[in-house]
Amino acid sequence: MVSYLIYIGVAIGLFAFAATFALFAVYYERKLSAFIQDRIGPSETGKYGSLQTIADILKLIQKEIINPTATDKWLYALAPAIIFIAVYMGFAALPWAPGLVPSKINIGLYYIFAIISIETLGILMAGWGSNNKYSILGAMRSAAQIISYEIPAGFALISVVLICGSLDLQEISMQQGILFKEQTKFLGIWDVSGMGGIMSWNIFRAPHLIIAFVIYFIASLAESNRAPFDIPEAESELVAGFHTEYTGMRFGLIFLAEYSMMFLVSMVGVVLFLGAWNTPLPNIGSIHLAEWTTNVPWGIFWIFVKTLLLVTVQIWIRWTLPRLRVDQLMDLCWKVLTPLAFICMIISAVWRVWVMN
Amino acid sequence: MNAANILFYIMSFIVLASALYVAASKHLVRSVFMFFVTLFALAGLYVLSLADFVAVTQIVVYVGGILVLILFAFMLSGRETLDVLQTENRSIWKINNLPAMLIVGLFFIILINVILQTNADHLGWITDSIKLKNNITNSGEMTANIGVNLMTRYLLPFEIVSILLMMALVGAAHLSRKEQQA
Repeated sequence: MVSYLIYIGVAIGLFAFAATFALFAVYYERKLSAFIQDRIGPSETGKYGSLQTIADILKLIQKEIINPTATDKWLYALAPAIIFIAVYMGFAALPWAPGLVPSKINIGLYYIFAIISIETLGILMAGWGSNNKYSILGAMRSAAQIISYEIPAGFALISVVLICGSLDLQEISMQQGILFKEQTKFLGIWDVSGMGGIMSWNIFRAPHLIIAFVIYFIASLAESNRAPFDIPEAESELVAGFHTEYTGMRFGLIFLAEYSMMFLVSMVGVVLFLGAWNTPLPNIGSIHLAEWTTNVPWGIFWIFVKTLLLVTVQIWIRWTLPRLRVDQLMDLCWKVLTPLAFICMIISAVWRVWVMN
Repeated sequence: MNAANILFYIMSFIVLASALYVAASKHLVRSVFMFFVTLFALAGLYVLSLADFVAVTQIVVYVGGILVLILFAFMLSGRETLDVLQTENRSIWKINNLPAMLIVGLFFIILINVILQTNADHLGWITDSIKLKNNITNSGEMTANIGVNLMTRYLLPFEIVSILLMMALVGAAHLSRKEQQA
C-alpha cells in the first residue's frame, strides 16, 4: 500500500514542480524580455514585481469559464486538459540525479517522444472544438509544424541513441560521467575514463553530436510553438491561434502546458547531449572535483542549472528573432534540418563501429 | 483480485465502451477523438501484458500519425461535406446490409467457437517452449531482444517491409507533384 502512496506523492510533486516552474518562468521571461527591449517589466506587485505572476494566476482562477454557444462542448472542455496531461506525463521518465528518477523504464526516451506527440491531438481538438476560423487555422498550422519537426528531432535523438546504445535515460546519463565503467574518449582520441567532467559529455564524446544538438534545439523550439516558430499563434493574423476562445483556468492550463513543455524539451536536450546530472568539473590529478560533485543533491543542482540555461536561450531567441514565414519554416525543416540529421545519424553509426571500439 | 486484475477490467471496459461509441456515434469528429481513447486504453492493456515497446509504438504510430492524418482529412473537407455524411439514413435493418450482416454473424460464431475451444491457460506451444527453455522472462531485456531479433532472424521481412514503405512514400510524392508545363 505504501508504494502506491509513494507513486501518488511523486505524481503530485511533479505537478507542483511544473506549476511552480511555469509561474516563475513567466515572470523570468517578462523580466528578460524587458531587459532585452530596454524596458523595466513588471515592477508594481511585490519587490521587483516578483508577485506579478502569482497575482495573474489568482485572477485566472477566479475568472468565469465561458462556453461560447457554437463550440463542441466536450471537445472544447477536454482539449486543455489533454494538452497539459500529454506534457506532464513526459516528466515521469526524466532522470534527476544518480539513482533518482520517477519511473525507470528501459524505453524512457521513446516513451517521452510518444507521449509528447499526443499534444498535437489536443491542439487539433481545441481548434476544432472552438468552432472558430482563427482557432482552426492556428490548430492546423501548429499540427503541421509539430509533425514536420518531429522528423529532424527524432533523427537527432537516434544519433545519440546509437552512440549510447540505450533508450534508458538513466543509462544515457550515467555514460556521460565518472560513474561509467567502460572507456570514454574525448573527441574519440583522448582517453578520459575516470576523469569525467565536461569532456565526457555526449557532445564531446562524439563531436558531430554538436550539430545534432543544434538540430534538436531548433526542432524543440518548433515543437513547443515558441518564436521564431510561433505562426500558430501569430497575433497579427490569427488573434491567438488555437486558444483564441479560451478563458480562465482553461487558458491557464494551455499556458502551463507551454511552459512545462519548454522545461521538458530543454531537460531532454540536457540529458541527451549536455551530460545530464553530471558535473562539468573533471578530476585533475589528486583533486577529485568530479567525485566530490557527483551525488544526489549536486545532480539535481547541475541538471536544474543546465536546463534553466537552455530555457534562457529559448527566451532569448524568442525576443531576438522575427517570426518565420510558413514556407521558410517548411524549407528549413525539410531541406536543411532533415538531411543534416540524416548525416548525423550515419556519422553516429560509423563512429560507434570504428572510433569507439 | 489484485491491482493488475482491476486495472485490466477497467481498461477493457474503456476499450469496449469507447469502441462502441466510435462505431455508433453520428458525430464523425467526436468519434475520431473517441478512437484516441480506444487506442490509448489498448496501449495500457499492452503494458499490462509486459509489451511496453508495443504499447509505445502503438501511441507513436496510431495517435501521433494515423489519427492526426484522419483529422487533417476532416478539417480540409469542410463542414457541409461532413453534414451530408452525417444525415444519411443509418438504419441497420436494410436489405443491402444483408451480406455484411451474414459475414459479421458467421465471423462472430467462429470467434466464439475459438474462444470456447482454446484452453488459454495451458496452450500447447507455450508449455512446450517453457520445457525447452526457449522463452524469455520479464527481465528488462525485452526491448533489446526485439532489436536483436529484427536485425538477425527477421532481417529479410524487416527489409521487405521497409521497401514497401519506401514505395508508398515515392508514390505519394509522385501523386502530389505538379504536372510539368509542356
